[in-house]
Amino acid sequence: MGGFSLKILVIVRQTPDTEAKIQANADNNGIETSSIKWILNPFDEFAVEEAVKIKESSDAEVVMLTVGPERSVEVLRTALAMGGDSSIHIKDENFGDMDSYALAKVIASKIKSIGDVDLILTGKKWIDEESGQVAIQVAEELGIPQATLATKVDVNEASKSVKVQSEIEGGQRIVELTFPAMISCERGLNEPRYASLPGIMKAKKKPLEEVLIDSIDIDELGLTKEGLGSEGSRIKVDSIEIPVIKRSLKILKGGKSDMVQADEVQKASDDLVKLLREEAKII
Amino acid sequence: MSEIWVLVDTSQGKIRNVTYEVLTAARKLKEKNGATVAAVYIGDSAGSIEGDLGKYGAEKVYKIENPALKEFNPSAYAHALSEIIKSHTPEIILAGNTLQNQDFIPRVASKTSAGLTLDAIDIDLSSSSTLQVKRYRYSGKSISTISYHDVKPMIATVRPNAFKPVENEVSPEVVSESPDIPSQDNIKVLETKITPKERPELTEADKIISGGRGVASSENFKLIFDIADSIGAAAGASRAAVDSGFVPYEMQVGQTGKVVSPNLYIAIGISGSVQHYAGMGSSKVIVAINKDPDAPIFQKCDYGICGDLFEVIPALTEEFKKLS
Ligand SMILES: Cc1cc2nc3c(=O)[nH]c(=O)nc-3n(C[C@H](O)[C@H](O)[C@H](O)COP(=O)(O)OP(=O)(O)OC[C@H]3O[C@@H](n4cnc5c(N)ncnc54)[C@H](O)[C@@H]3O)c2cc1C
Ligand SMILES: Nc1ncnc2c1ncn2[C@@H]1O[C@H](COP(=O)(O)O)[C@@H](O)[C@H]1O
Repeated sequence: MGGFSLKILVIVRQTPDTEAKIQANADNNGIETSSIKWILNPFDEFAVEEAVKIKESSDAEVVMLTVGPERSVEVLRTALAMGGDSSIHIKDENFGDMDSYALAKVIASKIKSIGDVDLILTGKKWIDEESGQVAIQVAEELGIPQATLATKVDVNEASKSVKVQSEIEGGQRIVELTFPAMISCERGLNEPRYASLPGIMKAKKKPLEEVLIDSIDIDELGLTKEGLGSEGSRIKVDSIEIPVIKRSLKILKGGKSDMVQADEVQKASDDLVKLLREEAKII
Repeated sequence: MSEIWVLVDTSQGKIRNVTYEVLTAARKLKEKNGATVAAVYIGDSAGSIEGDLGKYGAEKVYKIENPALKEFNPSAYAHALSEIIKSHTPEIILAGNTLQNQDFIPRVASKTSAGLTLDAIDIDLSSSSTLQVKRYRYSGKSISTISYHDVKPMIATVRPNAFKPVENEVSPEVVSESPDIPSQDNIKVLETKITPKERPELTEADKIISGGRGVASSENFKLIFDIADSIGAAAGASRAAVDSGFVPYEMQVGQTGKVVSPNLYIAIGISGSVQHYAGMGSSKVIVAINKDPDAPIFQKCDYGICGDLFEVIPALTEEFKKLS
């Protein structure tokens, strides 16, 4: 062990499948999870892929880390099957109660205890919470620089730095970060590979460290026991609603068949513009 | 007296519209708690922005200026704002949910032990001191109401277009601040490229026209750009159109693309998948043009034409042009 010239940590999260039908739970303060299929957060796939690509062209060790309940070990298996070396599961059965402020502290504290991590990669956001703040808060807690929304990553092992191209308002920007550094990954960075069968078999034998959330010294983090749960959260979900927008469903069809024919197109366009102007009052 | 701060967003030296929207949102809170609404500029040189900010109700304008803040750097901006927060202790801080703000405000929240929510679509006070915001989760699939608990400051970013800017002219007091900025050796900006935009930004546009796989080629997307230009709309796309290489990823709308809520969304040659809908389902009026009468989008739109887009779009573009 040891002797790697570069240590990369990838933070991954388990999210509901994008097809999932979202319904409120009985308490109406979260979602009903019983029928949900869970997947590796699509944006985290870009982070895993990038780490594995860097590993393929350098002497790097890639460690996967997630926080979540028992079931979230699945995303570590997926990430290991894609090519990671080892993984860390911070187990929290009440996951979801923690706000991102506390979550960032927990993740940062674990990373500190690992030590010598050069590069941290993660997705630009979780597709469930849509928050986009954890990665940046982990960077802040660790006192390291960040580049978000990366579309190109160029590691320079010798100078211990990385050039990152990112999307910014109205354009693009290239920054150079000195290790250790945090990068959040955007679509377009790479094409994530599928886990191969041999990859999946190998993943089963790769090291998986389990850390119980209770074993993390939260006093040290400036948190209280409650701070990890919903009671002490700085922000709390009061209620959740599923928006139902009533749509008028006025579809203009052809006279002879469902489709408007070439000679009916003009009238259909006129009618649509009239509806948008006079009924919807939108143009 | 307690203060509500609104961060000033600028683009090429001009104050962006989202700043006026957020100032309007801040005044809604002021009606309940009587706080002072203050606008906060961070950069190298504010110039005389107070006139424009005063028009939308900024009673105070903080100018946080330092040459080191000329170019955006998340660590430096977070440091500057956090220092000023610590000395003035505002209760509530609001900002537009722009990429730049999303990039440094989470650091501010960590530095000041604040409560933070991003991308609010509505804000309110549930008591004189508790901020309450609504935001989407799972893209457009659900809306959460979130309250802050015993925490100061309470910070939220507000989605562009969520509030309509309303003028309310006051004459602001100006406060100048120039915090020391520690040098940032671990991050260096090598290059910034701003591409002049031909059309409005997707996330800020009030009208969007998107094309999908049905548009069939990169060349055909000219039809989408033309019709978008005829009503000053932004142009978007489905993931199938992006994956087929018709247009770049920046144009993708959906759960893994941009999440938008314009007043008018026109989907052309788009079937209406769950993932696409998650990104635009909160639009006020949805129009679909599709040749398949059974396309799922026809079950969740307001208006539609069932027809061949190559026939319908040129005709509709001409009709739109007549409007102006
Ligand atoms: C993890 C994940 C994330 C995803 N994220 C997104 C996302 O963010 N955004 C997104 O859009 N998708 C996303 N998708 C993909 C999504 O599932 C659909 O595949 C995609 O939205 C389909 O795009 P489309 O409607 O353009 O294509 P199709 O479903 O192929 O629909 C094309 C439509 O065009 C119509 N058409 C064809 N020719 C014509 C013509 N001449 N005139 C009129 N109509 C015509 C057809 O009738 C059809 O309805 C995601 C999928 C996954 C698995
Ligand atoms: N519970 C978690 N465990 C591990 N990583 C997480 C967790 N929650 C969030 N992340 C990571 O943080 C990234 C960005 O989250 P956020 O910035 O809050 O949207 C995600 O893409 C994940 O990789």
